[in-house]
Amino acid sequence: MTKSKELKFESPSFAERLKSMLGVDFYRLFHTPVFYIFLAISAIIPAMVSAMTMMPDQNGNTMEPLYSNVWQIIAATEPLYVINTIADYANMNMVFIFGGIMVSIFIGHDYKSGYVKQLFTTHAKKQDYMMSKSLVCAFAIVCMCASYFIGGTFAGLLVGYSLEVNVGSLIIAIVGKMVMSLGWASLYTFLNVIFRRYFGISIASSFFFGTGILIIGAAAIVEGLSLPTGFLNVFLYGSSVNACLVSNIETLVICILVSVLWTVFYNALGTHILSKSDVY
Amino acid sequence: MNAIEIRNLSKSFRGMYAVDNLNMTVPVGSIYGFIGENGSGKSTTEKLICGHLVPDGGEIKLFGRDYTDAGVRVRVGALIENAGCFPHSSVYQNLRMQTINLGLKNPDEEIRRVLEIVRMQDSANIKFKSCSLGMKQRIGIAMALLGDPALLILDEPINGLDTDGMRIMREILVDITKNYGCTVLISSHILGELEKIATHYGIIRQGKMIMELSAEEMDRRAQVFVSLKTDDMKGAWAILSKKFADVREEGEYIRVYDVDDTAYIVDYLMKSGHVVSEIKKNKIGLEEYYIELMSRKGEE
Repeated sequence: MTKSKELKFESPSFAERLKSMLGVDFYRLFHTPVFYIFLAISAIIPAMVSAMTMMPDQNGNTMEPLYSNVWQIIAATEPLYVINTIADYANMNMVFIFGGIMVSIFIGHDYKSGYVKQLFTTHAKKQDYMMSKSLVCAFAIVCMCASYFIGGTFAGLLVGYSLEVNVGSLIIAIVGKMVMSLGWASLYTFLNVIFRRYFGISIASSFFFGTGILIIGAAAIVEGLSLPTGFLNVFLYGSSVNACLVSNIETLVICILVSVLWTVFYNALGTHILSKSDVY
Repeated sequence: MNAIEIRNLSKSFRGMYAVDNLNMTVPVGSIYGFIGENGSGKSTTEKLICGHLVPDGGEIKLFGRDYTDAGVRVRVGALIENAGCFPHSSVYQNLRMQTINLGLKNPDEEIRRVLEIVRMQDSANIKFKSCSLGMKQRIGIAMALLGDPALLILDEPINGLDTDGMRIMREILVDITKNYGCTVLISSHILGELEKIATHYGIIRQGKMIMELSAEEMDRRAQVFVSLKTDDMKGAWAILSKKFADVREEGEYIRVYDVDDTAYIVDYLMKSGHVVSEIKKNKIGLEEYYIELMSRKGEE
């Protein structure tokens, strides 16, 4: 290979910069066992939940199944912000919890290994980093949603649940949750940027937000006051819950808007923080 | 044009200045030896140049452009503290990621090229965590060499290398500056090694640049001295001290500074009844110069 002695400096365009950063992140994603482990977890968890709810109790009686329909493993029958049973909670939204942990491990290793130095040496613009991580992690969470769907459907069929469903609503619910992955991935990327020096805290914070416990708590208060809960859809967890088996096109539009707006917000804030603080 | 031009650069951590109004000029094509004690601010300066840290104030220009310019930064290669590789990935995978990051067209060819440069062409499939310290340092260099770096920033790259590893590293650095026109900023504690390759020096102390000079200037400034052995060292030292301003006992030798006329010294001692068993002309090296400079600054 011949190398030039000329000193030419051509500034790469935003698209070129993002392409190279995305290339690195996708390469890493497909070469890291963590991604495949979490894909497997996403497939196994719905199967486990389905099986566990069918287990006999202490008296040997078979427990009443929590689900009556295969698709309840994928999405709730209606937007249930306040949960009463595990079935209200245990659906594809759980992927956002595993996704948070996966994203934290994925991004945390950038810092633990020191590879982030290579990224920031050659990429002066911190926006590249935030956007690339958000997009790649969103892709990973979407894959986990797909894995959850496959695992949940198989488990539901094996247990013998009903398949009856409004297909349109089911598709919108799944697509809506997948769309929400971008917003969640941006939140986790942002949390990992804030806690970049504290690997454990970044995992714990992603888990905490992923559970949606803040929205569940807020919903309990709002319902207690007999106020409408619709405004909770402006939050990531709210919109993720809203994507359920009675979803319509309006639900999907809300999911897109909420996901994109939070993505823009977290990316802008994360970029600002990275630009104004020491990165390594 | 200078490869690096820094004016009044400052960086503090919790109110303590690690870099304090630092000025630095690294000419294009030079090997700039960046010298200083532990905690003097070398690594902080290098991290500031690479954009890992945000300065409190001052200006950094790389090849006449602001250091945040994407065009110039994509041509900076760095090895700071460690190679920054994923331990469970192979050497090849780590280098491959960097080729993607740099948007290189022929990644495998590039990887082969840099592995050949660092003499590690047979180690591509080894996991990074299985590599020795010396190998990891060389992989870090290979990583920094990928693409067409116009500027290499190397923080203690010869740490942990054996004698052969140091020689290889020396050859690599000279090669890339001569053949590829690359500028190298290198910090090291092994001043003897640095002296063999550096064309310029910058000496930093407590975050301030106390001296910048070229290797030629350094050579001119380096004190000449004569070291000798006699049958009666104490007596000879007393006699020489009367005649010369700077006479020191250094181990088994007496050193007479700022004098290079050995014949005159031999003659002078013989007249005083001392037999010279060994005498040679010398110049103080970078290490001694640095130690002396530091002790002078310490006294100030």
